[in-house]
Amino acid sequence: MFKIHRGLITKAALVTATAVLLSPFGAQAQTTSAPAKPSQSTSSATQEKGERWLHVRVICTDGRGDTVRVNVPLELAEKVLPAVNHDRLHNGKVRIDSTEVGDVDLHALMDAIRTAKDGEYVTVQGNDNDVRVAKEGSHLMIHVVDKGGSKKSQVEVKVPMKVIEALLSAGKDELDLVAALHALGAQGDVELVSVKDSENTVKVWLDSKNVAD
Amino acid sequence: MLLLAKAALGLGGALVVAGAYTFHEGVIRVDVDEYRAGGSHIHLWVPAAMVPMTMHFVPRHHFRDAAEHAREFLPVAQALFKELKKFPDAQFVEVQSDDQHVQICTHDGKLQIDVHDSSENVHMLVPLSTLDDVVGQIEESAPGA
Repeated sequence: MFKIHRGLITKAALVTATAVLLSPFGAQAQTTSAPAKPSQSTSSATQEKGERWLHVRVICTDGRGDTVRVNVPLELAEKVLPAVNHDRLHNGKVRIDSTEVGDVDLHALMDAIRTAKDGEYVTVQGNDNDVRVAKEGSHLMIHVVDKGGSKKSQVEVKVPMKVIEALLSAGKDELDLVAALHALGAQGDVELVSVKDSENTVKVWLDSKNVAD
Repeated sequence: MLLLAKAALGLGGALVVAGAYTFHEGVIRVDVDEYRAGGSHIHLWVPAAMVPMTMHFVPRHHFRDAAEHAREFLPVAQALFKELKKFPDAQFVEVQSDDQHVQICTHDGKLQIDVHDSSENVHMLVPLSTLDDVVGQIEESAPGA
């Protein structure tokens, strides 16, 4: 009786041990099976975590229908950008040449806009272009319509004032991109840039989804 | 009989442990299919854990050369791979035209690059931890590191 039980117990132990030892292969087989497209369900996961994603979408409207979509988590950009040291970009800051901005004091200019009331600051209506620069609430709006030539285009830029302030927070001759990204992350969902012309449609926007529209 | 079973279990166990260790970091997968006469069909599956191990046998001067050439990009690559591991699966880049589809995404801690073309299909899947290890080792070999 005891011998029968001992044999059974030994066999059961062997089977159990083999199953336990083989389980990593089973798990591995599952993880290495056909790679799938990232699930869109992760989108809700990112929303829960409060991650902010910058999206760029370019659609060629020339008939071929080429589309480019880029999705970047702002936190990733904030961490990686300081590692880029190329040309004028160092430690997440871009050095600007004062001669390039025509000796305009950007800080003084932005400070004036920040403290000013909402309104239209620049309105140019010409045969070739219409330009409108305005402050609406906490956003700086730039609207350009190019009417000249065969390629009519429309550009709309909407930048939160906090982002501009952060951008200019580095110093006189520098733009702090990392600080600007950080400030951008604190904003709600916003469409930052929209360009429409006869060949392309470009949209840059910010939201909490890790997938583009 | 029981002794034989125990010996088989011991051997099997050792093999499984070795296999589990080899595959614990996942698999690097490269698939290339060229759709033309005489086109290549490459299907490569390599245990990712083998890469950092194998790199120890590569002469150091090769790494120094690589580090020298990629000096500007190494900190960026290292920061990128380290940070990518923290994010959920996502599609970072997608380019679609009438005859081509390119996508770069992360999936289960792996960087996935797919190129579907009318003439060829390329599919690459590399664990981010392996990329991080490789870049780290190259950076350590950089002159002055």
